[in-house]
Amino acid sequence: MGFVFTVGIFGILILFHAAYSTIQYRGLLKITEEEFSGPPFDVLIELFLGLVICIWAALTLPAKFLSIHPHSEDNRVVSLSANVDFMIFNHRGKVFPVATDLKLRQ
Amino acid sequence: MAGHSESGSSEKKSSNGLDELLTLNAENLQSNMKIIYYSRTFLSIIGGVVAGILGFTGLKGFVFYFLLMAVTSIGLVAKAKFSIHTYFDSWNRVLLDGFLSGLMSFVLFWTFAYDIVHIF
Repeated sequence: MGFVFTVGIFGILILFHAAYSTIQYRGLLKITEEEFSGPPFDVLIELFLGLVICIWAALTLPAKFLSIHPHSEDNRVVSLSANVDFMIFNHRGKVFPVATDLKLRQ
Repeated sequence: MAGHSESGSSEKKSSNGLDELLTLNAENLQSNMKIIYYSRTFLSIIGGVVAGILGFTGLKGFVFYFLLMAVTSIGLVAKAKFSIHTYFDSWNRVLLDGFLSGLMSFVLFWTFAYDIVHIF
């Protein structure tokens, strides 16, 4: 997780550097009095690289998708909680009807 | 008291048949949607900065945003291992949700980056 986050920050830094290069390029154009028709080629490559890195980071950084099917592997209860010994079933709640089809949550 | 509990249990029975047909884990669906919003918001901000640096104006920028969101959708489908119905209840969740709210952030950062790079 920390690694992907670092990569994302790196991608953002690349974009900032590309912005800085474009600002300098525009300053150069102002001196030579030419028209701006687009950033130079190396800045284009830099932008593309930064964009790809950020896309990868944005898709990888959040957690994995979880299955929404109630009977799938993801939603199985694989372990009981540690305080089973303290569960009490002999209380006033047993007067009410039990919802036996209620699924256990993880 | 007895009458109340009676009606509750009968209601449960009637909805039981429905539950068999379209049951899904709402909690996991919510977390999946959160992941999608996260990705889309982040990428629309990044896309806005890139479009601003490239100097896009007018319709070009919106076409760029549309392409970026298409790429994001493909990426999300790939993240879901191409089985959308295991993780979402419909295709619209992957393809459309977060599109308009992302457009707002995109326009904001697009104008922001354009102003910084090309105007000042």
